[in-house]
Amino acid sequence: MPLHQLDDNRVTDYSADYFLSGALVTNADNVIVYVNTYFKKELHWHCNELIGKYIDKILTKSSKIFLQSYVLPTLIHEKKCQEMQLIMLSAQGERMAVTVNAQLDEKGFIYWSFFNATQRDKLYDELIKTREKLEAQTERLQSLASTDELTSLLNRREMDYRSVLLLEQAKRTHRSVALLVIDIDDFKQINDTYGHLEGDRVLKELGQCLKKISRQTDLVARYGGEEFLIMLPDTHRADTLIFCQRLHQLIAEIKVGSEGLTVSVGACMSDSNSTFTELFKHADNAVYQAKANGKNTTYMHS
Amino acid sequence: MPHLNEIRKRNNVKIIGKGDKTLVLAHGFGCDQNMWRFVTPVLEQHFTLVLFDYVGSGKSDISQYNKKRYSTLGGYAKDVLEICGALDLSDVTFIGHSVSATIGALAAIEQPELFAQLVMICPSPCFLNLPPDYFGGFEKQDLHELLNLMDKNYIGWANYLAPLVMGSSHPDEFIAELSGSFCSTDPLIAKTFAEATFLSDYRATLKHIKQPSLVLQSEHDALAAPSVGEFVANEIPNSTLQVISAHGHCIHMTHPETVGRSIIDFVS
Repeated sequence: MPLHQLDDNRVTDYSADYFLSGALVTNADNVIVYVNTYFKKELHWHCNELIGKYIDKILTKSSKIFLQSYVLPTLIHEKKCQEMQLIMLSAQGERMAVTVNAQLDEKGFIYWSFFNATQRDKLYDELIKTREKLEAQTERLQSLASTDELTSLLNRREMDYRSVLLLEQAKRTHRSVALLVIDIDDFKQINDTYGHLEGDRVLKELGQCLKKISRQTDLVARYGGEEFLIMLPDTHRADTLIFCQRLHQLIAEIKVGSEGLTVSVGACMSDSNSTFTELFKHADNAVYQAKANGKNTTYMHS
Repeated sequence: MPHLNEIRKRNNVKIIGKGDKTLVLAHGFGCDQNMWRFVTPVLEQHFTLVLFDYVGSGKSDISQYNKKRYSTLGGYAKDVLEICGALDLSDVTFIGHSVSATIGALAAIEQPELFAQLVMICPSPCFLNLPPDYFGGFEKQDLHELLNLMDKNYIGWANYLAPLVMGSSHPDEFIAELSGSFCSTDPLIAKTFAEATFLSDYRATLKHIKQPSLVLQSEHDALAAPSVGEFVANEIPNSTLQVISAHGHCIHMTHPETVGRSIIDFVS
């Protein structure tokens, strides 16, 4: 048993072999020059299988990458490295999760200590799974909270939130924005004549139609029962009117009984001071005007 | 493209040394520009050195991180090109460690006029074994185990759950408070870099490199075997392979004199 000289000249026979952790020393070439008996007792390595070999021998391939990319550079840079988790191999090739602390001396020798981390590893796995589950749930909840279930368009809350952001951006870049309020003509009659399921189909198809005609940057929302909103960034008055014309044409392709669906559209353009509330008020009034003008038409607020 | 000064700040660009020739030193996966500190004292006496951190590494501006851009090595190559643009560089010698050798190759193919030469330190264009012709050294399961290991090594660190709480739709708030350690990076960013590095295959790009290239291969490298270095040198039309008698993947840290001398000889 080796004797050790302590600082105050006491001699003791305590040995690294009594510790329930792996102690290992590598030289400047990453070659193992010392192991305590932990490696034999717990990992079944014979001392002579390890001494003179590279430290890579006791690590899995993934741990070797981690060793080369993080642990060794950190040791060279900071002289020490703590609480790294690696996977160690037993002589039989069994894997054991270990926590590693190590320090580097001036001669390039590295003093490694390894602690069994099997239970901690399980906890980490559980934590990772929980994080992944939470991420998936968050994504689902975000989607549920921001979209209309029937049409998959933005819901009213999300539209209110995003339109304000879009208007702020338009103000900064001095671009004009159009807001359209689209209201299905005589929707109550559709429900009364063909039933609510048919009403739902019409809403759904109209949603798809609006999505199809819009650009990716446009905001398209189901704002109320049969009321839809489209906000068109970077769009001028003439383009808006052309857009509305196409809208009426495409919507007419949705059939209700033998008739084409019709909508009334109220439109308005933003100026440098417009708020969403004002724009909505103008566009909403314009819808009433469009209805008063005989429906199936667009009225532009001026 | 961001403003020129923003790029310098974004990538924590440092310029040291003096000399007519300019070397751009690009760190590999895992750490940051500090990796070069052992070899820069030799090089800065001969050359102007440009050091930087990729967005997401070291002291780069993490708020500029964009997961989509940095999911492939092309995004990191853009960092290199934008840095060259911001500093108005041309005819530089690009020195890339490990994955940065591939990143440099992508940049040099996209804008060949900016690069005079490439130095690749322990490069690997593909870490996967793809039998029967190519053995990068690793099976897919090894690399997935690595990604899992990375998760576990960051678990107790700051920001592990923060992106989740903030939500991915608010990238501006995605500002990591990193610990002082030189290898610490935000866990999601590091994992994205690892996936881009270890699950990709850029073997086909090597033959399009026009610049004279020096491949510095470590004799015993757990990440890139000598056969990988030979493959790289064979694919690049105008290249020289030099095997350094060393053990390990970070030979510019462990053998700075040898690596420094090879670079000086090659560039001069």
